[in-house]
Amino acid sequence: MIDARGLAKQYGDLTALGGVSFAVQPGEIFGILGPNGAGKTTLVEILEGLTKPSAGDATVLGYDLRTQTVEVKRRVGVQLQASSYHQYLTLREILDLFGSFYPRSAGAGELLARVHLEDRADARISHLSGGMQQRFSIVAALVNEPDLVFFDEPTAGLDPDARQDLWQIVREVREAGATVVLTTHYMEEAETLCDRVMLMNAGQIAALDTPPGLVRSMNAPYRIRMTTRDPLDLAAARAIPGTSEVEPAAEGGLHVTQLRAEDAPRTVAALTRLAEGVSTEVVDLVVLPATLEDVFLSVTGRGLSG
Amino acid sequence: MRPLFGASLKMLLRDKQALFWALIFPILFLGVFRLFSFDSFGTTDLLVSIEDAQDPAQATLLDALGSVDFIELEVADAPLDLPGAEALIEDDDADAVLVVSPGMTPDQAVQATLVHDINDPIGASTTEATVSSVVTGVNLELLGGNPPIEFATARVGDEDETTFFEFLGPGIIGMGLMNFATISLAGSLSRYREEGVLRRIRATPLEPWKFFASVVLAHLALAAIQVLILSVVAELLGANVLRGGPMFLILAVLGTVIFLNLGVIVAGTVHGRGAVEGAANAITLPMMFLSGTFFPVSQLPEPVQVAVQILPLTHLLTAMRALVEGESIATQWVHLLVLAAWIAGTFVVARLTFRFDNR
Repeated sequence: MIDARGLAKQYGDLTALGGVSFAVQPGEIFGILGPNGAGKTTLVEILEGLTKPSAGDATVLGYDLRTQTVEVKRRVGVQLQASSYHQYLTLREILDLFGSFYPRSAGAGELLARVHLEDRADARISHLSGGMQQRFSIVAALVNEPDLVFFDEPTAGLDPDARQDLWQIVREVREAGATVVLTTHYMEEAETLCDRVMLMNAGQIAALDTPPGLVRSMNAPYRIRMTTRDPLDLAAARAIPGTSEVEPAAEGGLHVTQLRAEDAPRTVAALTRLAEGVSTEVVDLVVLPATLEDVFLSVTGRGLSG
Repeated sequence: MRPLFGASLKMLLRDKQALFWALIFPILFLGVFRLFSFDSFGTTDLLVSIEDAQDPAQATLLDALGSVDFIELEVADAPLDLPGAEALIEDDDADAVLVVSPGMTPDQAVQATLVHDINDPIGASTTEATVSSVVTGVNLELLGGNPPIEFATARVGDEDETTFFEFLGPGIIGMGLMNFATISLAGSLSRYREEGVLRRIRATPLEPWKFFASVVLAHLALAAIQVLILSVVAELLGANVLRGGPMFLILAVLGTVIFLNLGVIVAGTVHGRGAVEGAANAITLPMMFLSGTFFPVSQLPEPVQVAVQILPLTHLLTAMRALVEGESIATQWVHLLVLAAWIAGTFVVARLTFRFDNR
């Protein structure tokens, strides 16, 4: 579907994209995750044919991105934020208008029904709720019945219910036969929705794998929190093999020891022995698997929001 | 291309701001200036009360008063006495009342008393002097003698002089075209860019210039509708603009191209919607006052008069007024040349300044 080879974009002295190569397979939901300024938008704009790369090549749906831009634009769907549509036209009018730009297009009524907006066909964008606007922007990307769809942060600023709705719609788009590339800020979205996730940082690919694969590839995949009546010996805790970021904390007269561990069972056993050594009672024990957020932190050294 | 043009026109017709600049604003101006009715300053509504229309003295007086230009003469249905006349003036039914009553006896003179409440001293003395001189003239005529001195006046100049409102009509239509074209196009384009509409369009296989052309053409179409509506309104209010004929419309739409180009230039060089609207106003507002919209350019100080010959609106209005005064478009070739130069120049600058992608 997409085969990118060394795509780069330079704006003056600023390197927005530092030469990335990857491939997207037919029928997958491919997530691009990264903080603002990581190069996600630049990469997607290049793949959509909106921006010319400074270096590198790509084929999209078998078309050469540099020489067959119009063919690419005909066959891909592009979702932008909802405000990117004319405020003085109704939903039906916008879909009809955009449909007229393509050799083949789906009917407005059928499209609106796919996102449960059929009774809003004659409303304008500004009269829709945030969730409806996002749903509309998604369906507007499907007007040319594309084989490949780009979604740009489709659930930004939505409440959890509306987000679930949109995820379902994105899955339906894939089930209908399209390949989906989506950028997102949200770890949870990438983890639950995407078949593969590409982490980007500072214009480079930081990691690319399935969500569980990314988590497994980490050095310290678990977070462990042990709460005891008396403090544990921190030096001894740090000496447990495979642990890192060992931090003490006090909580309502109790003592908390937080750490990351590569091997959860062994570390829990070692911590329990430490507690027995000072004859204190273990009040609580929490073991959490690492998340994409942890992967991201370990790969980039900073959080997604940064 | 056709659905695109249709959509662009539809958007424009639903854009309240565009409609305000295109129609409401100029119609307000036409209405306000019509209310002022500068040309009817100095007319006096004179009500004449006579006892007997058959009486030769009274009939002659009526005739003579009726021939005075600035007097709007009306004859009272029934004879009035002085208190009755005062009451009528109090009620604003007339500016002045001339109460004519025959003498008590046949050999007593007819009494004519002028009652008025005209405050402005020139208006008051003009009315008094005119009525008094008419009465004197009638007296002389009735006596049948040749007056020792005959007085005559001669007026130099065109009988068919344009009234102020006739001057104003094309001015306000031109102003409306300019405001609408520059402000609305600059506003639409910058809104399309800021809201990402331009970017969204670029993501489709549509060639960007087609989208751009549809927006500009929609503005031109609305400009033509605007000229028609404003011309009819101005005509109804008494500005006689329809005398300009179809050439008037063609000329107006042609001039609009300049202002559309200016709108594109503003949208291309200024960023941020508020700033764009400010800049568009900064171009149109001075032009509105300097190009002879409301007052002839010849009333400006000499050096300024020369300077405003650069402005396109000056030439557009001069040519539009010439058409309305019945001259042929060919006599306006100098102005047409200047306008053509403006169209070409602003087109080149617009082409260079406006970029579809703002990155």
